[in-house]
Amino acid sequence: MRGQVPRKTIFAFIGPAVIGLAVVGIAPLLYAVWTSLHFYNLTKLRRVEFIGLENYWTVLTDEAFWQAMGRTFFLLGTALPLQIALGLGIALVLHQPGLTLVKTLARLSLVLPMATTYAVVGLLGQVMFNQKFGVVNQLLGGADINWIGDPENAFAMIIFWDVWQWTPFVALVLLAGLTMVPGEVEEAARLETKSKWTVLRYVQLPFLLPGLVAVLILRTADTLKLFDMVFTLTRGGPGASTEFISLMIQRVGFRGFDQGLASAQAIILLIITIVLAQIYIRVFYKEV
Amino acid sequence: MKNLRNLCYSAALAGAMATGAAADGHGWSLKDAAAPYAGTTVDVVFLLRPGYEAIEAMLPAFEEETGIKINIIKHPYENALGEQVRDFVSGGDLDIALIDLVWIGNFAENEWVLPLEEVQAKFPDAVDPDLDIDDFFPLVLNAFGGWNDTVYGLPFDNYSGLMFYNRCMLEEAGFDGPPETWQELKDVYGPALTKDGKYAFALQSKRNETQSADSFARVLWPFGGSFLDADFKSNLMSEESQAGLQFRQDLMQYMPDGIVAYDHAETVNAFAQGDVAMITEWSAFYSSVVSPDTSKIADCVEIAPEPKGPAGRKPALGGFSLAVASQADEDEQAAAYLFIQWATSKANAREYLERGGVPARQSVYTEDGLEDFKFVPALVESWQDGVPEFRPRFAEWPEITEIVQEWGTKMMLGEVTTEEGAQEIGTRMEEVLEDAGYYSGDKRLAQ
Repeated sequence: MRGQVPRKTIFAFIGPAVIGLAVVGIAPLLYAVWTSLHFYNLTKLRRVEFIGLENYWTVLTDEAFWQAMGRTFFLLGTALPLQIALGLGIALVLHQPGLTLVKTLARLSLVLPMATTYAVVGLLGQVMFNQKFGVVNQLLGGADINWIGDPENAFAMIIFWDVWQWTPFVALVLLAGLTMVPGEVEEAARLETKSKWTVLRYVQLPFLLPGLVAVLILRTADTLKLFDMVFTLTRGGPGASTEFISLMIQRVGFRGFDQGLASAQAIILLIITIVLAQIYIRVFYKEV
Repeated sequence: MKNLRNLCYSAALAGAMATGAAADGHGWSLKDAAAPYAGTTVDVVFLLRPGYEAIEAMLPAFEEETGIKINIIKHPYENALGEQVRDFVSGGDLDIALIDLVWIGNFAENEWVLPLEEVQAKFPDAVDPDLDIDDFFPLVLNAFGGWNDTVYGLPFDNYSGLMFYNRCMLEEAGFDGPPETWQELKDVYGPALTKDGKYAFALQSKRNETQSADSFARVLWPFGGSFLDADFKSNLMSEESQAGLQFRQDLMQYMPDGIVAYDHAETVNAFAQGDVAMITEWSAFYSSVVSPDTSKIADCVEIAPEPKGPAGRKPALGGFSLAVASQADEDEQAAAYLFIQWATSKANAREYLERGGVPARQSVYTEDGLEDFKFVPALVESWQDGVPEFRPRFAEWPEITEIVQEWGTKMMLGEVTTEEGAQEIGTRMEEVLEDAGYYSGDKRLAQ
């Protein structure tokens, strides 16, 4: 059948998408690769020169880059398990039969955090976690906790907001996975055992795995490029305590104007993201 | 009839003076000079600060007089450099460059702005004979608008660091005036004023330009330190620089917790709420702290020059000039020059001041009736004692300030000692300067 379709038709259907992808995705990527191989500082454009892999070497031997990377993965390692645990709990509650109206309202309300603009979340955080006037300290009985100016507290605050914003996403994905479990299979399992854990582990979990892998990939990519919320909330501070990798790239590229070095950082980040996504798929993903 | 004629004459004169359009003895008028450029639109970046609101409020008079439209693009300070760099690199629309004093080397070396003399030679009919460039405070003109002995921009939004103090809190603690020296502030005022949830002092130290300019540099200079020595090597390990940086660490016990998260807004707010007795802030924030709408202590606010250190006062110096962009076409350049000249003119300085701006014209501060502007004597004194290279103004500053911001904050948090932090900043700063060609002799040692 495929051979009977004229090539022109194939190109007509696929061409626009390929051209669109090339223009908005591949061309900038190639430009970033080109930039990363040059000394390319926006304020010194007269000095643009090919320097081979020097920018990559600078990045790979830069302690600050790896510290930022470490902070990013620490955030991922703390926030993501919390999001999955809380998201699974919410999904299981919403999967229970009955209370249709309440569950519908709950599902709708889950969308709200995700719909909130990242930068606005950061600004909200600035107000709510203000040491003197913030509602958080008021709710803690008038506590005098310095959230934004203390490195550990600032990091905890970022974790809180990330969990607040993205747990609903995980919950909705897992809820979708739970609805994929055939009713008769789940019902039969419940007749076999009273253990909810056994049902979850052997009946529901296989259906959740594709969603979980998607969550892992998306949340990993999101965390690696987490910028807006942190920028408006702490701007990477105090010190460098919340300077995640994307903030560092922005700082180098748009505040130091060293686009070559920032491009090298971004390319390395891209490679790490792709490798992680492949690992997730190979290790966790299984067809049901 | 005579009275009516006099009244009409006075009103007409006042109106003309207000717009700076008064034809002088040379027969020059803004209206005539602008006639060839009527209908031209001039694009300029403004900040969200009182000085810009002041000139914006005065703008209708200029536009009506000249037919030139000023298109203002507003940005917070932190975005202003990036937006302008991207615009100039890509040959964008900006016709005027708004230049912080630490950007002047960058803008001049990249030839994004035209030297003032070149503009005046190009458009001789646009030059107001009453421009009187010598009327600008020399320090301010040199630091904000000059680079390598060439004037590019005219000082527009002008700051000096001043000490804002809460007279009521000081009197309650038994002081009849502010501290004269930094040492006195720490040793005498600090313990007496830090109690019951109130603090003696707040030094805005957020990790952005505030950390470099308002916090780090502020303690270097009065103690005799500096970023660089005469050979452009780091001077941060010198005894004087270290004394200043260590002083900041010691002073932190009299500041609110989390001072490293305080930007201008938080600091001014803490002062205006009566939580902090003294702050060293830019003159531009005067209107905020004396307005009952934004300040609980409006009646208690007094202004003094910044305290002295062992090396003298050396107050913080900051501010912006406006310069004609080289990328603009000829009509836009002429129109831009007319606007800059008008906005910074002697004729408009008083109105600019009264609307919340801080002009850099010496003449306006000699006028009568400035009693309401308590900051004027301290400001004028500060502009005699300031150092143009308070922060180096060369093109490499954007890279160096990032290093200072990171390690300066780490020092304050106690993550590194002042020696370790200064060593790290010095090493990295020298790498940037070496890469730029200062040590090989490719670039003149100008800051």
